[in-house]
Amino acid sequence: MITEILDTISGAIREPRLADLILADMHLYAVLPRLEELARLDEEAGAIARELDMTLEFLVRGGPRVVLTFADGKVTSYRMGRANTGLFFLSCDLLNRMFAGEDVTPIPFKGITRVGQLKKFTRLTEIMTRYLKPSDADMEDAAFRKSHVEMSLMVGLSASGVVADRDPRARRLVDDLRDGTIQYKILPDGPNAYVRIEKGVIRAFNGIVKDPTACIEIRDVDLAVGLIAGEVDTFAANGSGDVKASGDLAMADEFNGMFDRVGLYLE
Amino acid sequence: MSLYKFNKSNEMFQRATAVIPSGISGNKNPAFAVPGSFPYFAERGEGCRYWDVDGNEYIDYLCGYGPIILGHNHPAVDEAARKQQAMGSAFNHPTVRSVELAERLVSMVPVAEWVAIGRNGSDVTAYAVQVAREHTQRRKIIMAKGAYHGSQSWCRHGIGGLIEADYEHVLQFDFNDATQLSDLVKQHEGDVATVILTPYHHPAFGDQVMPAPGFMEEVRRICDENGIVFIIDDVRAGFRLDMGGSNEYFGYKPDMICFCKGMANGYCVSAACGHMESKNAASRVFFTGTYYTNAVEIAAAMACLDELENTKAIDKMMKTGTLLQEGLRERAGAHGLQVSVTGPPTLPFMTFANESNFLRSQMFSGEAARRGVILHPHHNWFMMAAHEESDVMKTIEVADRCFAIVKKQFGD
Ligand SMILES: Cc1ncc(COP(=O)(O)O)c(C=O)c1O
Repeated sequence: MITEILDTISGAIREPRLADLILADMHLYAVLPRLEELARLDEEAGAIARELDMTLEFLVRGGPRVVLTFADGKVTSYRMGRANTGLFFLSCDLLNRMFAGEDVTPIPFKGITRVGQLKKFTRLTEIMTRYLKPSDADMEDAAFRKSHVEMSLMVGLSASGVVADRDPRARRLVDDLRDGTIQYKILPDGPNAYVRIEKGVIRAFNGIVKDPTACIEIRDVDLAVGLIAGEVDTFAANGSGDVKASGDLAMADEFNGMFDRVGLYLE
Repeated sequence: MSLYKFNKSNEMFQRATAVIPSGISGNKNPAFAVPGSFPYFAERGEGCRYWDVDGNEYIDYLCGYGPIILGHNHPAVDEAARKQQAMGSAFNHPTVRSVELAERLVSMVPVAEWVAIGRNGSDVTAYAVQVAREHTQRRKIIMAKGAYHGSQSWCRHGIGGLIEADYEHVLQFDFNDATQLSDLVKQHEGDVATVILTPYHHPAFGDQVMPAPGFMEEVRRICDENGIVFIIDDVRAGFRLDMGGSNEYFGYKPDMICFCKGMANGYCVSAACGHMESKNAASRVFFTGTYYTNAVEIAAAMACLDELENTKAIDKMMKTGTLLQEGLRERAGAHGLQVSVTGPPTLPFMTFANESNFLRSQMFSGEAARRGVILHPHHNWFMMAAHEESDVMKTIEVADRCFAIVKKQFGD
């Protein structure tokens, strides 16, 4: 107990380790914003989101900050802006431990009266975890698999932006990346998402972009599941036509390296 | 004519993926060409043609990514190799063939006063930068953005298997921007060992860029003023522009040159050469490999260089290459398509001027492959001496049909 407290305190005082900081960034900038898709894709999550009416800030000491707004059943995340409810984490490590499912209680520092709303919010995050770390039973369902792919793809693409900012080795890849867009399409009818690369900054979006610089088409949702799980040799899939890449293939290949960097931080 | 199918290539690729990481490693992986519209496995070659495992026949403008400079299965080169083979190849010692090849290069290449013989391009580019570091006792290597110098850790693309320390001392600048180079040299004053450039800029996924007037002279001046070793990586262009090194074609002089492709018509030989000044440093860098002294390849290189010189092969390739470049420009224009045909005639390349995502290039190349011509969508092409005018005319006919398809699909 004592050592745990000491740990927490020293963890809070120390500069965060780079790996902890990167992972915390990913949690707030790539994982948490997936509530946006979750509210649309999952019925229960949609219903909860409609009941919520708050702006919720996550603030990490020495780390990232994000504001989620809940309005009319829609969830939106911003890196700036004010919130009426706030959760404070003493360190990146503590935030990361909460996302890993450990019992971590953040410090509410604003809107303490919205305990009921926060409870519902916790339920939302549980549902999201179901999609991002799915059980075999859930994955039997085709619609679930599709949602899993949609959310995981967006996590991967958004997290690429985080490693691009902070991971020294990813920076090397980014330095070589020219400006443009890379489209990811799961055939026959989605999900689709794309990244926009501008002067080394990477941002992820849902949907289809016109005239992408490179386009990756994945045969179907099941193959996408395998790719996300890291069970498929992407080069082999490319040669067999299961994955079709067109456009600036050098760019697509370099960007593929970003996913590998992301995978090192996010399980 | 019926369009080519690639069933066997696909089948073999599936087989390969079971036992070989990524099925085919590196730049020959299908992902870098036009998967589905390109052969994956070759079977045999003859002159400027080769056949894939499905029995499809191609006029070859990739030449094994450069080394086939005379033609597949060239009789004089193969005969020299066979003759040496009859005596043996891999010994405890080099054979006199190694000395003969070094002497040959010293007499032919103005910059060469010493020669070290390796196998692949990467062997000699890595060696050359080490010699430069040893000679100057400095750390930094400056290269052009987008240039390829091989698969060793100091210059390998991407990050797979690399740690930051591998490329910590490698700096990059934009080819043809002497001001950027000069700024880098100032920033790292006293620590720059070498500037390594290709004789002109031939990046993959881009147009080829000739040295701007005065650029190489400026590089020479910056290197001289700062005691930096100027290396030309002539691995790709060597012996396709000038038998004395591609720098002679452009009229400038580096301190060291690396050769490989084009030296031995497909037998694996490479060479680094340089001025007397760096010879002692070159001796101090341990340079060896199991096959570096194999005599068969070195005998083949001698025969290849002889044949290139005796038949004035470069002149011939310049003619056929010019015919190809002009034919492509003319046919594209007739279809109302804007193409940019770049590079010297012996290493031509074409992209579509109004796109940056290579979609037209990929369609053009895929359709050309299905009609028996290999024109890579992302990597410069190569001429070989075995290309005759009639082969080029046939190529232009195929290109004409492919332009029509591109036009139909894209409109412009
Ligand atoms: C300019 C240049 N340098 C170096 C190399 C590396 O040669 P290798 O692949 O034989 O190691 C290449 C190969 O394509 C090249 O084109």
